[in-house]
Amino acid sequence: MEGSRRDEVDCASIDDLFQGLRREPHNLLEALRRVQSRYGYLPLEGIKKAAEYVGVPLAQAYSVATFYHQYSLEPVGKYRILVCMGTACHLRGNSLNIEFLRSVLGLKPGQKTTSDGIFSVEEARCFGCCGLAPVVMIQRPEGKNEIVGKANARTLRAIIAKYRRLEGGAG
Amino acid sequence: MPWSLLDKCCEKCWHSPKTPCPDFINCSLSGPLCHSDEECAKKRKTRLEQLQHGEKGAKIKVPWTSCTLATGAEAVYQAVVDYISKRGLDITVSISGCYGLDFIDPWLEFVTKGMPTAIYANVKENSVPKLIERYFLDQDVSGAFALKEKTGNAKGEDEVPLLSELDFWRKQYRWVSRNCGIVDPESLEEYIASGGYKGLSRALKMGPDAVIDEIQKSGLRGRGGAGFPTGLKWRITRQQRGTPKYAIANADEGDPGAFMNRLLAESDPFRIVEGLTIAGYAVGASRGFIFVRAEKPLMARRLQRAVEEARKYGLLGTNILGSGFNFDIEVILSAGAFVCGEETALIAAIEGKRAWPRQRPPYPAEKGLWGQPTVINNVETLAHVATIMAEGAEKFAALGSDRTKGTKMFCVTGAVKRTGAYEVPIGVTIRILVEELAGGAPDGVKIKAVQIGGPSGGCIPASLLDLQVDYETLQSAGAIMGSGGVVAISDENCMVDVAKFFLTFTSAESCGKCMPCRVGLRVMWSILDKITQGKGQEEDLEVLKQLAETVRSTSLCALGGTAPNPVLSTLRYFMDEYEAHIKKGVCPANVCAALVTYLIDEDMCIGCGQCAMNCPANAISKLASGKYRIDQSLCVKCGTCYVVCPVRAVKKTSCSGGGGNG
Amino acid sequence: MVKVKIDGVTIEVEPGTSVLAAAEKAGLRIPHLCVVKGIYEGASCRLCLVKTPTGRLFPACAYYVYRDEEFISDSLDLRIERKVNFEFILKFHRMECWLCPRKGNCLLAKLSKELAVEGTPVCAECPLSPEECLLTKGVPCLGPITLSGCDAECVESGGPCWGCRGPISRVDVLENAFSRYRELGIDTETILRKADIFWNSLPEFEVVKKVFNRVRTS
Repeated sequence: MEGSRRDEVDCASIDDLFQGLRREPHNLLEALRRVQSRYGYLPLEGIKKAAEYVGVPLAQAYSVATFYHQYSLEPVGKYRILVCMGTACHLRGNSLNIEFLRSVLGLKPGQKTTSDGIFSVEEARCFGCCGLAPVVMIQRPEGKNEIVGKANARTLRAIIAKYRRLEGGAG
Repeated sequence: MPWSLLDKCCEKCWHSPKTPCPDFINCSLSGPLCHSDEECAKKRKTRLEQLQHGEKGAKIKVPWTSCTLATGAEAVYQAVVDYISKRGLDITVSISGCYGLDFIDPWLEFVTKGMPTAIYANVKENSVPKLIERYFLDQDVSGAFALKEKTGNAKGEDEVPLLSELDFWRKQYRWVSRNCGIVDPESLEEYIASGGYKGLSRALKMGPDAVIDEIQKSGLRGRGGAGFPTGLKWRITRQQRGTPKYAIANADEGDPGAFMNRLLAESDPFRIVEGLTIAGYAVGASRGFIFVRAEKPLMARRLQRAVEEARKYGLLGTNILGSGFNFDIEVILSAGAFVCGEETALIAAIEGKRAWPRQRPPYPAEKGLWGQPTVINNVETLAHVATIMAEGAEKFAALGSDRTKGTKMFCVTGAVKRTGAYEVPIGVTIRILVEELAGGAPDGVKIKAVQIGGPSGGCIPASLLDLQVDYETLQSAGAIMGSGGVVAISDENCMVDVAKFFLTFTSAESCGKCMPCRVGLRVMWSILDKITQGKGQEEDLEVLKQLAETVRSTSLCALGGTAPNPVLSTLRYFMDEYEAHIKKGVCPANVCAALVTYLIDEDMCIGCGQCAMNCPANAISKLASGKYRIDQSLCVKCGTCYVVCPVRAVKKTSCSGGGGNG
Repeated sequence: MVKVKIDGVTIEVEPGTSVLAAAEKAGLRIPHLCVVKGIYEGASCRLCLVKTPTGRLFPACAYYVYRDEEFISDSLDLRIERKVNFEFILKFHRMECWLCPRKGNCLLAKLSKELAVEGTPVCAECPLSPEECLLTKGVPCLGPITLSGCDAECVESGGPCWGCRGPISRVDVLENAFSRYRELGIDTETILRKADIFWNSLPEFEVVKKVFNRVRTS
């Protein structure tokens, strides 16, 4: 799971991923999602396999992969911090929170994943928890999500510290 | 597993998915209908009683939805289970949906025979043992948030208000959300016990045309935003000659600030499945799809489960309830794109393509999914359909305003005391929503505007709060009903910044297919950005209006067509704020970063160091006096110090001199 | 057969024909850019908008007629909408016409003339190929920074552009032109001096000078 995951993923044994999925073009979104959930992103080889499986040209699969927000063509951090950018969250201070997270994690403009590959910070669309604004969601590698309501600088700092501890205390 | 209402009561019952009984729903509640047997009737009565109070006569309900999980319901659930097993108490623990009252999350509901049902608000996991002891062992309800009824035999009953007497409950009319927070969303049995699937069994006996007549008689209009009459849409689809036809539930709820679809689907998913089945029956479709937003995974799981359960008991599949109607539903998860809420884009997404909308006409009713006639309804509309078919069109039509019948769920968020989702008859005023249901502004701030309808809607100033919520009245005021998100904007927010925020959203979410939306919104955004930097010029406002007009009238789909609304409405009602930015270079609400300076009031500073500790730019240093000061050359204006200061010693000021042309 | 009436002209077509095709059949010109029959009919460029008598706008390329209908294809408001949308299209076009092999022979240049959008430089109308370009011979030509519309008459008759139609005000185009001048070793001071002849009192000239100065010092 370390730094240079990019082209080393082995997609040979990918076919079991698509089990139970009908080979119909309209299942492309689902096929890509399964690839993404296994590798954390969409490796080119994975897109090819998905396209082949559902029977669409690679070009169409690629156009879909680049269109939707949930797909990432680059490896993302082990913990994805999704900062809700809905109306209520924006008004209650999430645009400040994202700046805070970025500067605490030392992310340069345009960079979304920390150099150690542990965290990535992304803007996200409304989670529908507007009553608890501002909301931040942390996607954990095991697929579980932690939703933090009423987030502020203090709670975010505590959360980052918590996950840093899980990663062995360093940094 | 105890006997359930959906199981056979005795050997004489012959219902199964393969041999469906037309009276299955009625029979499971008030049966047996095909034979008479005291034993079988008693079985049902006992079971209904059990569902009410739990199998052991006592029950704890934990809400299991996204909003309560975000506030720690999982830990509370664990604490309840742990404590009950530790003490060996005979209490059933079940999950439920959510009342939509976000300000009491996470809550617990205690039910037991002979005691009033009590709701506890904002429960922490460490207070669970105390609450259980007090309620179940001491029969004391004091400390509860509200009671569902009074029995007079529990301690402390007088101190706790009745739920039905509280403003935010009394003023609601819970028609479509009637089951939210009441039933277990994963149990088909509970749904049927609460009157579910009556609508479908009635519809199947009436015939498709009569169903459409009934929906037309009710006056139901689409709850997704545009307000197109549902019955008419169905009729057009039914009249198309092409087969197969499809029915789609649009659960791609993307408007920031709106979560009623999520709430409904997570708390009462069967109602949506039932509604879609009725829609499919009415238009003559054979396959249905529920398209769910990617950001709401629990909603998708619940719907998926509901579909599987319904299939298991023959409420989906072939020959549903012996009517000869075949219908099955597939739940499809989006991959995240706001534009999928647009019906033609949604169709493209289901087909496994880029979610690009296409020019209408032809409308989906004529040429939709895979070129076939397709009916697309919003989740809330379908939930209404199921309820109308069960309760009758007259009851629904009696509610609402002259032009628009029935009720609508609104999500009130932002600067209000009681954020949550409330269902009211259409035609109530915005003031009732914001002030009476949601409790008005929190202490210390004032509401200066409400934003209705998400990124397609507009901002309505506080002076117009007495406006009725209705498709037409809102439109004439420059907003739209949209999906029903109401965000209260306080005087701590800058309206130019709000307008810019919505354009940031819509320009990022533009699919890029047509020019006015792809480029026009970006150009408009850059003008607003210039204004928030204090570099705007007076001509900019005129240009902004012209661009907005072109984008509105020439965009391909509704995303671009409505995206200028927030700008146009703020220009209409909050011109003074635009002018302050342009002419004086001042942000009146102290929001726009380029125009704001943060200062620490040394008289108020208590020297706790919170600000310096949390400053990401290390711009705050300690003075010899023990107080702190911000180095303006290092400050990145992130506002963290302002938030963390415990005594509000950090001040924001907006001074002219940030540029501008004055 | 159905009858389509466009700007008062009645055309009989097969049901399912697009308004654009109907107009073309009658020899009526509706400006359009993105549509290629059978390859792309996505109605993206929004230039071929036509109006129904009730005032609703539809793209002519993707509106198919199945019954008798009437449209207006030319009116002041349609012209404005088309113009603004075409400006949006040009907004992110690099417009380095002096380097482009299509030179003047492209849809963008044609449309900008047709829709009276002031945006393309004289180079878009220049008869010379990039290889023959006067700039490559070191001649201080004002073509890259001058508004088109003259059919590059001066170049036609053998000389460089003198800038008589006034400067382009788009900053990115000016920047590109500046780096082109520098690349070919043409002194930008000379360019500005030459421009001063026609542009002397124009406020837009100040923009050009500002951009040139900024690029020079950066």
